[in-house]
Amino acid sequence: MKVLVTTALFVLTDAARAEVLLSEDHIQQTLPFGPWPPSFQSDPSNRVSNDTRAIALGAALFNDPVLSVDGAFSCASCHDPEQAFTTFEARALGRVLLDRNSPSLRNLAGLRWYGWGGKSDSLWAASLHPIIEEQEMAHSKESLKTAISESSYIDEFEAMFGDIQTQDPELVLVNTAKTLSAYLETLATDRTQFDDFRDALERRDLAMAANYPEPAQRGLQLFLGRGKCVLCHNGPGFSNNEFHDAGVPYFLSETGVDEGRFGGLNFLLSSAYTLDSEWSDDPDKQGAWVVRSVRRSHSDFGTFRTPSLRGVAETAPYMHDGSLIDLEAVIRHYSEIDTERLHVDGEAILSELNLTEQEVADLAAFLVSLSKAP
Amino acid sequence: MGSETQNAPEAHVAVDEIPLAQPFSILITVCDNTDVGEMRVDALMPAHQHDLNYTPKVTALGDGLFRVDNMLFHMPGLWELQVDVGFGDRSVSYTSNVMLK
Repeated sequence: MKVLVTTALFVLTDAARAEVLLSEDHIQQTLPFGPWPPSFQSDPSNRVSNDTRAIALGAALFNDPVLSVDGAFSCASCHDPEQAFTTFEARALGRVLLDRNSPSLRNLAGLRWYGWGGKSDSLWAASLHPIIEEQEMAHSKESLKTAISESSYIDEFEAMFGDIQTQDPELVLVNTAKTLSAYLETLATDRTQFDDFRDALERRDLAMAANYPEPAQRGLQLFLGRGKCVLCHNGPGFSNNEFHDAGVPYFLSETGVDEGRFGGLNFLLSSAYTLDSEWSDDPDKQGAWVVRSVRRSHSDFGTFRTPSLRGVAETAPYMHDGSLIDLEAVIRHYSEIDTERLHVDGEAILSELNLTEQEVADLAAFLVSLSKAP
Repeated sequence: MGSETQNAPEAHVAVDEIPLAQPFSILITVCDNTDVGEMRVDALMPAHQHDLNYTPKVTALGDGLFRVDNMLFHMPGLWELQVDVGFGDRSVSYTSNVMLK
């Protein structure tokens, strides 16, 4: 009994000490990170978006090796549903070791760009390219049509899209990608301890907000302040969905480089599958303004899309090449960044932070709080 | 909007709340009795040495009124809006600072 009373007093004392550490300015900067989850908006460029039949077919195809030409692997091989829709490998293994880390596939609905280099402006286009990439699924349009025709999914496919034999192979490819997209739109990360904190701040319920651990609060202060992380990681998804030079080397070998956004834009602007193309189902072409008006710059070279930080603790390793093994390594990368590696004519944002060990731990605590508690 | 050109015709920008990293539109009014010609719009972040990632679309609505679409500020901080307006054979530049939180 004495032990119980002592424990209860200790908890009360600890709770009384807890407080919100953020200034009013930081509170105001925190509110735009929510609310979470965002309301779902159907994709007007995909006529089977939010269609329950398409979602079910997309989920089945995602996990079935029928989408690779020789049945060698499925989408899930590199985007494992049991591993937050990525894998623990630094770089994805397709038919060869690929140049980039497999991005997680959660919270993708409604983005402006897809992929590390932003070579797609829609989720269905981003779903389409791996099917026909030689180093990935390696289907031709014709072999895919045959595979779908001969698969156990043909009835579901034709129920949505009609007789497959009357469809051009390219249409079959696009329709297949749109079912995958319908499924991927449904993948979202759960609410987190951070979301409870953010919502309590919005309600001005400081007693509830004070339950958010102080190390995470101090990490958030750094995230908003000296760390400048919020410049790129902003909004409910913690990403501005644009492209930046994070100081990670983009040399693949002595002679090869990963062009990043520069290559992504070259790909996009010669692609038949954009929101400005005939394959968009939106008669108003609502999202097409991005491909029509996006600017090209030599400073795009070696820049990569800002990744979302939601669920980030579940998706190691990090950066476009998976070269940083854990969150602490990422924080130390920015803390000790070699500014000589940054574009001379690029953005003047990053500089050495020289974080203390306490600050590294605090930033890590904040980032972990953006993931569902284990 | 401000201009370093002496006796520059007045120009005004009207904008609702600017969303961070999302597209928005603005209206620009140029007050001048002569014909207002072409308008070009851009913006940059002086502290970061970068401009817009998308080219704004300018539409003349008549009577010196212009609608500018496809504006997108992808970072919080100070942006400098830059507007060049043609008046006959001369061009006048205007700027206006926008702080985005």
